[in-house]
Amino acid sequence: MQILHSGLLQRALVEIVVLGAACGALGVWLLHLRHAYAAESLAHAMLPGLVIASLLGIPLLLGAGAGVLATAALIALATRDARVGSEVAVGVTVTTAFGLGAVLALSPDVPVGLDKLLFGDLLGAGTADLLAAGALALLIALALAAGHRRLALTVFDPVAAPSLGARPARVELALLALLGVAFVAAVLSLGNLLVFALLVAPAAAAIRIAHGVASQLWLAAGLGAGAGLVGLVASAELDVAAGGSVALAAVALYALAALARPAGGRGVGGTRRSPVEALGAGR
Amino acid sequence: MSARAARLDVDGLAASYGAGPPALRDVSFSARAGQAVAVLGPNGGGKTTLFRALLGELGTVAGSVAIGGAVAYVPQTERSRLDFPVSALDVALMGAYERTPWYRRIAAPDRALARAALERVGLAEHERRRFGELSGGQRQRALVARALVQDAGVLLLDEPFAGVDSTSEEAIMGILDGLRADGRVLLIATHDVEQARRWDRVLCLRGAQVAYGPPASTLTNAVLEATYGEEIVMLDCGHRAVAIQHHDHAH
Amino acid sequence: MRWLTDPLSAPFMQRALLVALALSVAGGLLGTWIVLRRLAFFAHAVGSATFPGLVVAGPWGIAPQLAALAAGLGFAGMLSRATRSGATSADAATGLLLAGALALGSVLASDVYESGAGVDRLLFGTLLGLGDGDVRLAVAVALVAAAATAALARTWLATGFDPAGARALGVAAARGDWLLLALLAATVVAALPAVGALLVSTLLVVPAATARLLTTSLSALLSTSVAVAAAESIAGLLLAYHLDLPPGPAIAIVGGAAFAGAALASAAPWRRGARVVT
Repeated sequence: MQILHSGLLQRALVEIVVLGAACGALGVWLLHLRHAYAAESLAHAMLPGLVIASLLGIPLLLGAGAGVLATAALIALATRDARVGSEVAVGVTVTTAFGLGAVLALSPDVPVGLDKLLFGDLLGAGTADLLAAGALALLIALALAAGHRRLALTVFDPVAAPSLGARPARVELALLALLGVAFVAAVLSLGNLLVFALLVAPAAAAIRIAHGVASQLWLAAGLGAGAGLVGLVASAELDVAAGGSVALAAVALYALAALARPAGGRGVGGTRRSPVEALGAGR
Repeated sequence: MSARAARLDVDGLAASYGAGPPALRDVSFSARAGQAVAVLGPNGGGKTTLFRALLGELGTVAGSVAIGGAVAYVPQTERSRLDFPVSALDVALMGAYERTPWYRRIAAPDRALARAALERVGLAEHERRRFGELSGGQRQRALVARALVQDAGVLLLDEPFAGVDSTSEEAIMGILDGLRADGRVLLIATHDVEQARRWDRVLCLRGAQVAYGPPASTLTNAVLEATYGEEIVMLDCGHRAVAIQHHDHAH
Repeated sequence: MRWLTDPLSAPFMQRALLVALALSVAGGLLGTWIVLRRLAFFAHAVGSATFPGLVVAGPWGIAPQLAALAAGLGFAGMLSRATRSGATSADAATGLLLAGALALGSVLASDVYESGAGVDRLLFGTLLGLGDGDVRLAVAVALVAAAATAALARTWLATGFDPAGARALGVAAARGDWLLLALLAATVVAALPAVGALLVSTLLVVPAATARLLTTSLSALLSTSVAVAAAESIAGLLLAYHLDLPPGPAIAIVGGAAFAGAALASAAPWRRGARVVT
C-alpha cells in the first residue's frame, strides 16, 4: 500500500485523522445547538479571504482566519435585520462572497489555484501545516472537555442555564469561535466547500446511532477519524482527489448510519408535511 | 433538609428585554420560608419576565431583589429539548454542575443526592429513562428533582400543572407541599384562578403588579378584572370569575 | 454611450443578454417564492448538487441539462429520505449532502475525467459562451415560470402561510408544492450554463431578497424581483465585458452590492418588521 511508504501520505494521514476526530466531536454540539446552516455558510463565505491571502502571498491560514471573522460579522449583521429572514440574508452573503472570490481568483493576470481553495490540498500538507492542525485540534478537544457541562445546559435548558452555572450567550459564542478554529485548521486540507462534510456528517451519523451525549461525542470522533483514514487510503490507491475522497467517505458513513437507523435519534418530526416544508428551512 | 434562611424580598422591581420600555414594572412583595406564592396573570403579562429577572437573566431597570438561598427554575417542559439524549438521572445531576469543576466527575455525595431527589419525587425506577420519553408530569418532577439537588431556597415553577394528567397533578401537589415543609419559597406561575386560591399568597401581574396578598382577600372581582382585562368571564352571578386562556397551538 | 453600444453589437453579448433577461424573469418570479417559502438554502444546494452531473455529462455523452437535472433530483430525493424521520435536521442534511455532491464531483473531475480547469466553468458558468440550446431552455423556463405564477400564486401563498390549513385543502396544496419544486429544478438547470453550479442563487435568491427589502405586496415583489434581476444581470454583463471579469461572479457581486444598498437605503423606521400582504 502506498500509504505505508510515502512520508507525504503519512503526514497527510496524521493530519486528517486528527482533524477528523476534532471536527467530529465539535459537530455533535453544532448539530444539537442547531447551527448547521450558520456553519456551512461560514465555511463557504471564507473563499474571498483565502483568495486574497493567496494573491497577497500571505499564509493562507491568516486569510482563512480573516475570512471567518469577516463573514461571522457580516452574518451577525445580516441576521439582526428582521425584515429579510436570516436564512436569505446569509445566502446573499455567501453568494456574494463566492462571486468576489471567483472574480479575484479567475482574473487572467494571476491565476490562483482556485481548485485547491475550493476542494483542498490535503497532500500538499507540510510539517508546519500538520503542527498547526494538530495544535488546533488539541485546542478544540480541550475546549469541548472543559465546556461539556455548560454546553449540555445551553442545549437542554437555556432559560434555566444561568441558575445552573452556564451563560448560554457566551457558550454559543465560544462554540462559534471553536467552529472558526476548526475551519481554519481544516480548510487547507479539504477546501472551503468540503470542510463542512467532515464537521457534520460523522456527527449526524453518531447522533442517529448513539444514545447519550458522551457516546455520541466519542463515536463522532471515531467516525471522523475513520472517514479521514478511509478517504485518504482510497484516494491514494485509486489516484483520485484526496479532499473529495475524505468528504465522500464521511457522507457515506452518514448514509450507512441513516440506512441502519432510519428512525434513529427520536427527533422532532415525522408528521406528514408538504415537500416544501420538509425540504425548506421550516423550523 | 436543614432549615435555611430562604426568603425573597422584591422592592420596586422593573425589568426589560433590551433597550425598550420595561416589560414589567412596580413589583414589590416579600415571601418567607415555607410560603408558596401563586403568580397569576395573562400570557405576556410578565410572569416569565419576573422569573427571568429573579434568575438574573434580564437586566433590572429599577428596584432591588434580595434572595436568601439559591434560585432554581422549573420551566414548562414543552419548551425543553426533548430530543437531547439525557436521562432523568442526568437531569437531576445538572443541579450539581455549578459546584463541580469541569475536570472532576460529579462527586459521590451529589450522586446520592440526585438519586434521593428522584426517589422523593417518585421517579426512582425511571432514573435511566430518557427525559424526552417521560410523560409531561414525570418531566416536571425530574426538573423538581434537579432543583432539589441544587438545594435551592427559592423555586420558580412555570405552570407546573399545565398539560399534566390528574394522577401526576396530585403527585406534584404532594411534592410542592413537601417543598414548603422544607422551608423553601415557591413561586408558581399559573393562569388558573382556582388553583391560585390554594396557595399562601397570590401576586397578580399585568405588565405591572396589580395586587399581592392572601388569595381570599386579594382575588376580588375588581382585581381579576384589572389583571385579565376583558378576558374575564363572570360565573355564578358574579361570585366566580374564570379567566379565558388563549393557548398557542403552534407546537 | 459607446460603453453600452459596443458590447451590445457583439453576437455573443446579445445572446448573453437574451439569456440573462430570460433567466431574470424565471429567477425573479421563482425567487419570490423561494424567499417566501424559505427555500433559499435548498435552492442553492440543488444548484451546487448538479456539479457531479455536469462533470460526467461530457465524458458520458449525455446532454448536460439532463445530467444536471438527474443529479439535482437525486439530491432532492436523498434529502427527503434523510429528513423524513426527523433525526437529522433539514439544515444539516442539506449541508452534508451538498458537500457530498461537491466531493463526488471533485473526485470524478480529478482523475476519472481529468477535467482540470473545466471545473471552473461548471462551477461559475460561461455566460459569454452559450449555445442555442441554452438560450431556448432559458426562454422556455421563463415562459413556464410566468404561466405557473399566474395560475398558482394563490395556492403557493396560502400553503406557505398556513401549512396546517393548506393541508386541509388537501391534494391541491400538495400538487402545487410539487410543481413549485419541479419549477425550481428546471430554473436551476436553465441557469447553470450562465452562472454555474455555485452561483444559481445570484438569479434565484438575491434579486428577490433585495426586492423584499424594498416592497411588501406580492405583485410588487414579483415585478421588483424581475426588474432587479434584469438590472443586475445587465450591469454584471457590462462590467464583465469592460473589465474582463467572469460574468457570473460579476453579477453576483453587483447583486450583493444592490442588496446591501437596499438594506441601508430602506432602513427607515416605518419599514421595520414589514410583512407580505396581498
